[in-house]
Amino acid sequence: MSDFPTSFSNEMIEAKGRFPLNAEWKSRTGKGVRIAIIDSGIDKNHQDLKEKIDKTFEAKQVDKKVVFEETESGDSAGHGTACAGIISMIAPDAAISGIKVLGSGGLGDGHAFLAGLEFAINQKFDIINLSLGTTKPQFATPLHDLLDRAYHAGCVVVAAANNFPQPSFPSVFSSSLISVSKSSETDHLKFGFKYGEIIELTAPGVNVRTAWLNNEHRILTGNSFACPHIVGIIALLLEQYPNLTPFEVKSALYSIALENDKLKETS
Amino acid sequence: MNEQNIENKLRQVIETVDVANSLTAPLTDTIVNLLESSSALMNSEEASVLIRDGNEGDLCFLCAIGQVADQLEGLKVPAGKGIAGFVFSSGQPLTITDVEGEQSFYAEVDKKTGFSTRTILATPLIYKGDVIGVLEYINRIGEPPFEPFTPEEMDTAALYADAVAGIVNAYESAKLFKDLSKRILSNEKTSEITEIRKWLDELRDTNRHKEMIDLAVLIREITNRGDAERVLCREILESFVNYKNNDLDYKFSHL
Repeated sequence: MSDFPTSFSNEMIEAKGRFPLNAEWKSRTGKGVRIAIIDSGIDKNHQDLKEKIDKTFEAKQVDKKVVFEETESGDSAGHGTACAGIISMIAPDAAISGIKVLGSGGLGDGHAFLAGLEFAINQKFDIINLSLGTTKPQFATPLHDLLDRAYHAGCVVVAAANNFPQPSFPSVFSSSLISVSKSSETDHLKFGFKYGEIIELTAPGVNVRTAWLNNEHRILTGNSFACPHIVGIIALLLEQYPNLTPFEVKSALYSIALENDKLKETS
Repeated sequence: MNEQNIENKLRQVIETVDVANSLTAPLTDTIVNLLESSSALMNSEEASVLIRDGNEGDLCFLCAIGQVADQLEGLKVPAGKGIAGFVFSSGQPLTITDVEGEQSFYAEVDKKTGFSTRTILATPLIYKGDVIGVLEYINRIGEPPFEPFTPEEMDTAALYADAVAGIVNAYESAKLFKDLSKRILSNEKTSEITEIRKWLDELRDTNRHKEMIDLAVLIREITNRGDAERVLCREILESFVNYKNNDLDYKFSHL
């Protein structure tokens, strides 16, 4: 008979979650942390994003290969700009780059998405925001391989879950990335951790006001907008603790989430 | 009955029963019924279904209800553009509401219809892992400013999207035959394999479905060349299946 416990008590879970952190990370601004948003592009002329966008790349097809070039083509849908707005609200000094894989004419969605992720890993971004996913099983294995590469390269990948019965990749790969779904929490720094579940984190994603195309703003709801909240928080953590590995980042998030829960219970 | 007679009979049958429309019309009617019942539940004024148009991520409106429904049907949305384009490409459902004082934001479609989109819920239509379209609900019943769509309404929309996706898939299959019947009526020869393959290349259909048919035609082409070719084709395919099975065993042996 194995001694391995079949269930975890609250104390055991709490013990697992302890990670030596002080609260100084909350006063950080993400300075020196490089973030890639793989999405529809970024409108870097938006009033909320001026001086905050480092570089913007776009997928192009050359000789049947997807390559990335610097671009000024902006955002084709508004979604990437919205994600950048959320991240810069939490980590205003982080260096945000956009990798445009959606809305690049003539490119198959899944292939450009994979190429964008590989490009971001090769560029050694500290954090990668993936507010998108695919339900196509043929992309599961290559995505899994890329996420392992990211993990070993020290890139923290954060992905939005979907709310469908079908599994969405990469958000179901809980080992090598951080998956997020939306909560109705209104404090941008408050998030939850559902220990043992595939989609482990919850973050604000309901009626979030953020940047949109044409220098405007929108009120948005979706897991897509929970994801950049966690990216922003990780940027603060990485400024305070620059040597954290992806595994340690997840442990730190769990530790903070436990504190958030305790504060909620106390209040 | 010789081949010419069969072809003539087939053409007469198609003309008599109007196969083209009898295949697709009940499906689009069902989608419209679903849009009507679900939009009432969502307290929404307008609803529409967009489906893929070609293989490059473009979309076009298949069905719509509301003030500008007639103008929307058939309208195209380029790949990755706008809310629907993003939802289709990313597979992520979302809701967007304008901020008071700012302009209507669904510019690419609103410009063409004169409609003013103030709040929208868009969710992907997923069938067997493929995103095949987008379901949208636009604005609330009554006057603006409108309340944003809620997370609970997103869940409701996802349930409807599941039902609509099945019907859209049936519509796409029916449309295959609709296109085929049109081709037969146009008196073009379809017996040549190269002709059929060319026609398949031009089809606006799901990648997977098109590839399956294309593969079947290819196998038929090979096997029609003789017994030796048929045996060889079978052996190659079986070897490939065995190789892939072993490959999977190899991958999982590391776990």
